[in-house]
Amino acid sequence: MKKNEIVPTLIIIAFFGLMLIHAMGLRFVKRFGEMGSGFWPILILAAAFLLSILLLISHLIKFQRERKQAPEERSTSSEEGIDLKNRRKRLALSVVCLLGYILLMPWIGFVLSTLLYVFAFILALGERRRLILAISPFLVTGLTVIVFAKLILMPLPRGVDIFAAFSRLIY
Amino acid sequence: MLEHYLTAFSTIFLPQNLLALCLGGLWGLMAGALPGISTSMGVVLLTPFTYSMSPLTAFTILVSAYCGGITGGSITSILFGIPGEPSSVPTVIEGHSLAKQGRAAYALWVFLLCSIGGGLFSVFVMMAATPLIANFALQFGPPEYFGLTMLGLSVVSGLSGGSVLKGLISCLFGIFLATIGTDGITGVERFTFGTTILLGGISFITAMVGLLAVSEILIEAEEPFQQYKGSVDYKGMRGEMPRVSEFKRHWLILTKSPIIGTVIGALPGAGATIAAFLAYGEAARSSKNPEKFGHGAVDGLMAAECANNASTGGSMTILLSLGIPGSNTTAMLIAAFMIHGLQPGPLLLGQRPDIVYGIFVAMLMANLFLLGLTIIGIRLFLQLNRLPYSVFSVAIMILCVVGAFGLSNNMDDIYLMFLFGLIGYYMRKYSFPIAPAVLGLVLGNLAELSLRRTLLLSLGDPLILISRPISAILLAASIFSILYPLFKRPKALKSV
Repeated sequence: MKKNEIVPTLIIIAFFGLMLIHAMGLRFVKRFGEMGSGFWPILILAAAFLLSILLLISHLIKFQRERKQAPEERSTSSEEGIDLKNRRKRLALSVVCLLGYILLMPWIGFVLSTLLYVFAFILALGERRRLILAISPFLVTGLTVIVFAKLILMPLPRGVDIFAAFSRLIY
Repeated sequence: MLEHYLTAFSTIFLPQNLLALCLGGLWGLMAGALPGISTSMGVVLLTPFTYSMSPLTAFTILVSAYCGGITGGSITSILFGIPGEPSSVPTVIEGHSLAKQGRAAYALWVFLLCSIGGGLFSVFVMMAATPLIANFALQFGPPEYFGLTMLGLSVVSGLSGGSVLKGLISCLFGIFLATIGTDGITGVERFTFGTTILLGGISFITAMVGLLAVSEILIEAEEPFQQYKGSVDYKGMRGEMPRVSEFKRHWLILTKSPIIGTVIGALPGAGATIAAFLAYGEAARSSKNPEKFGHGAVDGLMAAECANNASTGGSMTILLSLGIPGSNTTAMLIAAFMIHGLQPGPLLLGQRPDIVYGIFVAMLMANLFLLGLTIIGIRLFLQLNRLPYSVFSVAIMILCVVGAFGLSNNMDDIYLMFLFGLIGYYMRKYSFPIAPAVLGLVLGNLAELSLRRTLLLSLGDPLILISRPISAILLAASIFSILYPLFKRPKALKSV
């Protein structure tokens, strides 16, 4: 078991703990025989809190055991460090692209935000072929609009002001 | 009875009814396969077009869409890892794992044959034992439902992979998610923190798309571009058909799962999702290789597919015999009955045997037609798989976004999907199994409501849960189901 599992477990314990405190504030019993709104969440969160503590204890025990057995194994090579950095960079770019997409969509509409997102996301994934970069945003956006906005009549976001006027030209 | 069947068969082979079977099946496959358009929504969208049709043609197209929807949910589940329907989650876990191992065509054959087999089994049961199942289902009150949901939740140890403790925490997290929103009994807001986004609770599809599909795209996005494996290896379905011996080896699962599916489908409000999870969990519990579950277990895929399709016949059984909907989709079908001036229930069989027997035969034919229609559906969806990796993954992400938006035409669901995508990413990174969280989310609400109703019924006495035979048996079975794998698991898996 790795040391880096201890921190997430602590976060999980804190999360369940905070939710448990919040659940205590919910009404417990309303009338005879009724459990009230708080009973079930308290039961679930208390169980989750206790199990998370058990998980932390098991992690700590295994971490101690592993540290005694192989104390020098934890140094990472520079290649692994670069790989980790690149992985984090690609993940961060993907998350930023998706976040930007969903935040922009209500303002500039589905069509424009999807065009931008498709281009940015495939670029972030490492795609460098110009033809794919040029065609795919229009292809993916076009097909999505035809299937969902035209055929199924889903009211995809149109955006505001000038963007709404632009979206209305399409769907 | 025989003459009713002969009449129904001669009517179903009329050109308009055959066309209705094909169109309904294809529409259902599409609705089931696309996230955001559920089977029930597919049936609802189709209902207005049936106004001008004869009642039998109308029900032919609707039941065909219903069967197609339940089947279609598994196509995108296997190929792209996106559950089209909540009942397809076990299929995502096992079927998509097989697809990623280069066995997509094999997984598709297993899904197809088991789906059709499960569907046909339930139709025959529906024809033969309609009154029997309906009477059994009527004995289910809140305590029995609580027992049933506990049995459903007890499969968590089978879904946990390496660590039961992490599986239990994941399941409790899912149950906690199900408590978010307005309390159905008292109207109290729970864990909404003053925001409107969480008032209506967390939808299954939003959470599932985020936890399963978005998180996987994020995991794949981390990989260097050359090694990116967003799509699955698929060469063709020819030559990939599973051997008869494989089905023989899993005969017990192939016998148990359709029975579980049909019985669960016949319970009001239970439906395909609970059926699929229960059969999947039972397969995990009784498997000789439980460590394979979560990594492409064929028996898990078989169990889930047999059960979710078998639930259609069960749901239709109580709809036709009692007028009670067994699932969301059959609730929509009640509206279709009303539109055509019919009232589903005990009197329907006597008053309009042509409709009831016609529906029996239509469901039988729909399942047979789906064998061919699904292959067409698979070919259509496989076109996405031919795209370059980068375009493929972005197309899947947009499908997820549109699917989440389509639930209530609201941006809030997309924001929640994004959040669940991140949660799913970290759950995968730290080896927390996702399936138990989805299971908890799906069953949590029913478990809470049935327990609270039970205690209201008994004026707070919990002994009612063990004093009624069916609930006592179900609770005992769920305790056994939790404890059994702990003792049966190989030593290597008992680590945490």
